[in-house]
Amino acid sequence: MAAATSSQKITVRKFQVHSNFERFAYLFMRMSGVGLLILAVGHMLIQHVLNSSANLTIEFVAAQWNSWGWKVYDILLLWLAIPHGINGLRNILEDYIHNPTTVKLINRLLALFVVATVIWATIGMALFDASKFQ
Amino acid sequence: MKVDLRVRRFNPEKDQKPWWGEYTLEKVRATDTVLDLLHRIKWEQDGTLTLRRSCAHGVCGSDALRINGANMLACKTLVTRLTKDNNYARIQVEPILGMQIIKDLVVDMEPFFDHYRSVMPYFVNDNPLPANGRERLQSQEDRARFDDTTKCILCAACTSSCPSFWANEKYIGPAAIVQAHRFIFDTRDEAFEERLEVVGDTFGVWRCRTNFNCSNACPREIEVTRAIAEVKMALTTGKI
Repeated sequence: MAAATSSQKITVRKFQVHSNFERFAYLFMRMSGVGLLILAVGHMLIQHVLNSSANLTIEFVAAQWNSWGWKVYDILLLWLAIPHGINGLRNILEDYIHNPTTVKLINRLLALFVVATVIWATIGMALFDASKFQ
Repeated sequence: MKVDLRVRRFNPEKDQKPWWGEYTLEKVRATDTVLDLLHRIKWEQDGTLTLRRSCAHGVCGSDALRINGANMLACKTLVTRLTKDNNYARIQVEPILGMQIIKDLVVDMEPFFDHYRSVMPYFVNDNPLPANGRERLQSQEDRARFDDTTKCILCAACTSSCPSFWANEKYIGPAAIVQAHRFIFDTRDEAFEERLEVVGDTFGVWRCRTNFNCSNACPREIEVTRAIAEVKMALTTGKI
């Protein structure tokens, strides 16, 4: 009998995954982490290395947000950074707060904060009229 | 060699809170382990010192302790490993963290074993045996996938070194996940879906923050964090 390669000898079994919020949050943290690595590092390089931090004025931002490309870049950064950071905070708080009622209340407040901030800031950026600052 | 030992003491019948017992031992040999020193304290200085040990050879896993701030088996830890000085050592010994102290160095392991039992740590296969009546075969590669996690001796050094477990004892802990891994990745076992449901729960693998304390603490050198990551990957992809 011909020898099978080692990959042929490993049995792969499939199963139906029962998803829950923690699994979703885990996956979101990993994927948003990769996105943030590109977007946040790019943002820092553009704002603080390629441009001087001293020039970060409203005129500079207005010049950037004159283009939809930059608006989309910053909106994506917002969508990934706020839920990523607040979910990290949720994990830390859950390590210290064990009362289920308090945990539920804090989680709802954090979720409200994420939704409100993301919607509010997205509207702010999308409707930003750069011509008023140039 | 001379050794100054600080041992965490607590007698619930007498003490309001734990305290440090200070002991000096002379003529300690280079081949002595921390367990040998604890025996000498108990047999020569203070018979009330309470500790748990059985085989004293790193197999039974009953004497996991926090030694100089890190979890180790007292019977496997040579005194010479804890000092650079050939003539003197200062050693601190405490019970493992995250579990209730029964007395001195003995902790209540029942919550740990409850988590262990929750992952069904036994072989499940209700199918008839092969026609020849012999064992259920698997390839060497399939066997190798869970070889590392068969080495666990349930000493709890990993679980009691985990900050997520310290923060919340409902977290199933590294040792239970290692036990689940051992059976989940065994192609002969058929209860992998039930086990994955337990370890994929809110207080399962998702509580792991990947800080590698468990891998560092394991006296059997099991790559615990890798095993946890493999279970997370299975729960992410739906494939094992």
